[in-house]
This record gives sequence, C-alpha cells and structure tokens, in this order.
Amino acid sequence: MTGVLLPAPVPGLIPARAGIGLRSQHHEAILETAAPPAWLEVHTENYFHAGGPAVRALERARSRYPLSLHGVGLGLGSADPIDRGHLERVRDAVQRFEPGLVSEHACWGHVDGEHFNDLLPLPYTEEAVEHLAARVREVQDFLGRQILVENLSAYVSFASSQLSEGEFLAAVVERSGCGLLLDVNNAYVNAANLGSDLDTFFAALPRHAIQEIHLAGHSRRRVGMHELLIDDHGSAVCDDVWDLYEDALRRFGPLPTLIEWDNEVPPLETLLAEAARAEQRLQRHHAAAA
Amino acid sequence: MPRPRDPALGLKALQTAFGRSVRSATANPADLQLLAGSEDATAFGRRIDVYRNNAWQFFLTALERTYPVTNRRVGADFFRQLARDYRVQHPSQHGDLHWIGAAFPAWLADRMAGTGYEWLADLARLEWACEMSVAAARRDPVGLESLGRFDTDVLPHLTLVLQPSLQLVASPFPIWSVWQANQHDDAAAPVDLATGAEHCAVACVADRVAVYRLEAADYRLLQHLHTGMSLGDATAAAGTDAETPDRLLSRLLGWAFGEGLVVQVVKASPA
Repeated sequence: MTGVLLPAPVPGLIPARAGIGLRSQHHEAILETAAPPAWLEVHTENYFHAGGPAVRALERARSRYPLSLHGVGLGLGSADPIDRGHLERVRDAVQRFEPGLVSEHACWGHVDGEHFNDLLPLPYTEEAVEHLAARVREVQDFLGRQILVENLSAYVSFASSQLSEGEFLAAVVERSGCGLLLDVNNAYVNAANLGSDLDTFFAALPRHAIQEIHLAGHSRRRVGMHELLIDDHGSAVCDDVWDLYEDALRRFGPLPTLIEWDNEVPPLETLLAEAARAEQRLQRHHAAAA
Repeated sequence: MPRPRDPALGLKALQTAFGRSVRSATANPADLQLLAGSEDATAFGRRIDVYRNNAWQFFLTALERTYPVTNRRVGADFFRQLARDYRVQHPSQHGDLHWIGAAFPAWLADRMAGTGYEWLADLARLEWACEMSVAAARRDPVGLESLGRFDTDVLPHLTLVLQPSLQLVASPFPIWSVWQANQHDDAAAPVDLATGAEHCAVACVADRVAVYRLEAADYRLLQHLHTGMSLGDATAAAGTDAETPDRLLSRLLGWAFGEGLVVQVVKASPA
C-alpha cells in the first residue's frame, strides 16, 4: 500500500491563530478558562529562575498550550559584547519550555556596562545591519535554531540613518537567516511619530520571513510641540491598528497573531475578547486562502 | 534606497552618546547635535525624555517590587530618592530586571550608617532573601521518617540537604516583626525596635515564600546544618542557651522536616 507521507506533527508548533501574552495575573485563570486562546507567549526573562511559582505556573500552562518565548533583554544590536550569561539563560529557558517560536527585538539596550532595560532604537546604517545580523547569527548558532526579530517602536530617528526601516530589516533577514515578527502597532506608532510611510514599510519586508504578528495598544503624550504615540501596551488595540492588521493579513497571509497587554493588565476575559477579534479576521483570511 | 542625511556616526559612538543622554537629567547639547545632525536638536532632546523616563521607571518599579516593605516603611517619596541615589552608584548591570536590587541592602547599610535607621538595611536584606528564595529551584522534600532508615548510632554522622530556596538572615533588630507587620494593606502595627535581635529563615514552600522567626539557638543550628555539618557537629557547634542539645536538635528537626525544608538525608563519609 502506498500513501502520502504526511509530515510529523511538530510539538508546540504555533498555529496561525490568535494567542495572548500570558502575564502573572492570569497564571491560574488561563488553566481554567472555557474559551482558551490558541497559544501563549511570555517574556523570556520572567522565566529565567530555576524554580518558583512563576516557572511552575508556566510549566503547567505549557502542558496545555503552544508557547512562544519573547525576549526583551538581550539588546541584540548593542555595540558592546552580548551578555553571554543572559544568552545562556535564554538557552536554558528554550530547552526547558520547548517553545514553538523564539523572538527578540531589532534594538540595543546596553552600553559601557550599563543596561537601560528598554528597547532602544538603532540607526538604519550598513554598519548596524552588519552588526545586528552578526549578533542574530551568534544567537541562532548558540540556540541551535532560528529566531524572529521584531520591528521596534521608536520616538527618534537618527541623522546617520541611510536605509528605511523596512530595508534595514530585510537586509538583516538576508544576512542572518532570521525570521521576522511584525508588530503592527509598532509600525503604526512609527508612522505617526517619525512620519514613515506604512505602505513603503510593508512593501520592503520579505514576505517569506514573517512568521508572527503582534498587536497592542498605545497611548498619546504631548512632547514639546508634538503629540507622540507611546507604545505602552496598556490598552485595547485601536481601530486604525485593526485596519492595518487587515492590510498585513492581505499582504502576508494569516499568521500567528498575539495580543500584547503588559501594563494596566485587564481581566483575562478582556484579553480573550481582543484575541477573538483577531481570530475572526484570521479565520476570514484562512477561508479566503482555502 | 540610500538617503544619507548626515555623515555616518559609528554605532558605538551613537550608543555612547545616546546612553549619556538617557542617563543624565538633561541631554548634553553636543550629544544631541551628534545624534540629531541637521535635524532639530531641541525636539530630539524632548523625545529622548521618553527613553529617560522609561529607563528610570523600569528601574524604580523593579526596586519597588523587590523591596515593598522597605518602601512602605520609608514612604514612597523617600524611597524614590533612595532609588535615584542607588542608581547613580549601581546602574543596572543586567538585561534581566530581577537583579537590579542585588546591591541595594549593602548600599543601604552604608547610606544609613550612623543615622539610627541601620535596621532598614537588614530589613532590605530580608526582602532580598525573599527574592532569591522565590527564584530558587524546589526539590521534593523528605519526611522525618527518612531518619528511621539509619541506626541510632549513625544519627550524629548524618547530614541534611536543605531546600535550595532556604535563606538565613539575622539582625540585631526585630526585622521579622517589621516585615510581618507590613504584609497587609491596613496600617502596620508599630514595632518597638528596642525589642532586639531576630533570626529569620526564608524558604519557598508550596509556591509561596514563608518567612520564619527562629530562636537564636535554632538559627545557629540551622546555619551549621545549612553549611553541611553533620547533626552531631552542628549541634555541638550551635551550643544551647538553656535546653539540652538533644532537645534542641529534636525540635529543629521536627520543624524543618515538617515545613518541607529537608530534601535529602545523607550519611557522611568517614573522615
């Protein structure tokens, strides 16, 4: 008898459906909810410990959900050497939780021994492309797997930049073999804050590399003569970002989509309702693609 | 699509200038000129404020989370001032916020020396012990019956392996009482700091941090056991204030096994 040999299921593979960022407030509720999200993502650094309640809570959640690890502390683009201790703890977390995806940011975070614990913007220069790509390769070699790199929200652009953000990310993908995590809210925030063109940005991204989408809320703050959008992950996704998400789905197809909400964290039901809005859109695009 | 606007600024030089601008209260005009080039340096500087505020808030929030009782005892305003001064000498050294408060107790001891508030540093040491405890691995405990596997004459030569989360903190001040009095949202009951020394053990059991107050002799015995001394040697080294060594050992073992703090009983190899 002959037949089609189907690929074996990949344990923990992240489906092209809607997930939520798991925060400590919901460690218990996520195990009991009647309307579970399709997958979960956590900040890698919150689970560096050898033990403790948070680690055990994630182990329980991991047994029920596909999981993605999203790092915020490596500072991949820092000119100073990468913190090997930090990288080792990322590797330990990857080995422990066996995530379907591992991601970090196109940013830097430390210089001259001081960490700012923030996602700081890079100049879009040839030197920065080469540097970030080398660092991504270093991390991928160390972890033994591909990582995704997320586009950053920024409040400044540098005079020395020579490339557009989309060109910069495409070059990093080409030279490192990484994937991309497209944060639609970040793209929207940058367009408002820095005047970047969204159509140009999307058009420059290598479609094949995009493996995940982030959605989040932002706030508005008056800074000098201008109003800045602050990527604070403290509110619901706004209508404009939902529209931009639709545009991204049309361009790049249905992709695993995460609702991020890190500040003023609402009840789990609110997060799940946001995820349901993303899921509806994903299902429409899945149906259209079928 | 190359679109150079200004001469290229090297990555390291850019990050150094940006870092200085985020670290200082106001950005250096020369750094702003370097970063902004022909753009409006003043506007650029205002936008740097967002990053400066972020870095400060992340640092402060991490310290507040690690030291909630110290924060409550000194008040939010003074704690913020302490955090600012501490950050000057101990900027974050890690990409993981967990470690921001590691040097805070020692720094606070220097800061409070001779002020009459030396107890705050010991309180902070207790809170850091809680932070370390919650991060430690947890092993399955063994019960008191595990001692029964050994002949009576072997008992003095046994050593105990204790939970990795166990931390010991002693102070000439009643830090356990202060910590305990500040575990609820309602107003903390006053603690008489003249009541003297307290000895604390911290462990993470059943997914929560437990902070125990021990008698001085129990603390000394636990301290010796924690270093790997045998039951016999530890009991002899601990001394007793009023009771017999056997009674002290019996009481401490009953408590330690009962609380799930013992994970293995090992027969020491003969010297």
